[in-house]
Amino acid sequence: MSAENLELTERLELIETMIAEGRRSTTRWAWTIVLWGVAFYVAIAWSSGFLGGPIWGQHYMAWPVTMVGTWLLSWDLATRMRQSAKSPMTTVKRAIISIWTAMGISMFALLVPLGLSGRADQQVCVAVVVTLLGTANAASGFLLKWKAQIACAVVWWIAGSASLFGSVTQSSIAFLAAIFFCQIVFGIYAMILESREQRRQGAANV
Amino acid sequence: MSEMPELNPVIHGKLRLALLSLLSGVDEAEFTWLREKTGSTDGNLGAQLMKLEEAGYIAMKKRFVLRKPQTLYRMTEKGRAALTEYVSALKELLGSAI
Repeated sequence: MSAENLELTERLELIETMIAEGRRSTTRWAWTIVLWGVAFYVAIAWSSGFLGGPIWGQHYMAWPVTMVGTWLLSWDLATRMRQSAKSPMTTVKRAIISIWTAMGISMFALLVPLGLSGRADQQVCVAVVVTLLGTANAASGFLLKWKAQIACAVVWWIAGSASLFGSVTQSSIAFLAAIFFCQIVFGIYAMILESREQRRQGAANV
Repeated sequence: MSEMPELNPVIHGKLRLALLSLLSGVDEAEFTWLREKTGSTDGNLGAQLMKLEEAGYIAMKKRFVLRKPQTLYRMTEKGRAALTEYVSALKELLGSAI
């Protein structure tokens, strides 16, 4: 290849590198996965009466209080991170935020009326929650071409279908297991990956 | 014999090309973020951004966040069209060389 062509190839590579650099999210989001996993466990433990005390005794408040509280905490922390990170908004980032926001709204729009109307069946509610989580994970996974997240979606979907069969206890066990793998294990894995990426970028900038 | 396409000289500069490519993937970006990604100095970066702005390829706006000034840049439609054209010309040149 001639020197001129080599330079032109370098230009093309530069364009590709810079476009990829712009799309890369430098903000840490994996903590939200773990946070929501812990929130699900707290809500389950509270609603099941595993937590004692005057406040924890109000079992009917478990899911609304935990979910709204976690949502507010996530929103506040995410806003602070966005302000400090200075990373620009990209189309992919906006798409991911849209998917999870829509999923959260759908969950509230469906589960709150179900609870208030008294038509909530525990196994059906678990199936709805788990399938919605599967949908959001799948959409994010396909968008990011992230096989681990697509695998989580499959686990959620299987847990959702399985929760409609068997007893209430078996349904709850399927939900707890899916939370453990898809929120806690996957969340920690994503945090480790991000931490490595941060270190790699730090070393590259030295 | 077909004529070889010419490469846009405004975009062809390495730093200006890097800046346009970076801006093509985001809604808008801060001066400090562009400096970090390109590893350029303030003076050089400012000069190259001004050239792109004069060509109408990018637009600049200033704002205050928590009383701190921020300079934001975004790619214009003209800039996007110019970059697309540049990439096509580049590919055509490389293609004809093979």
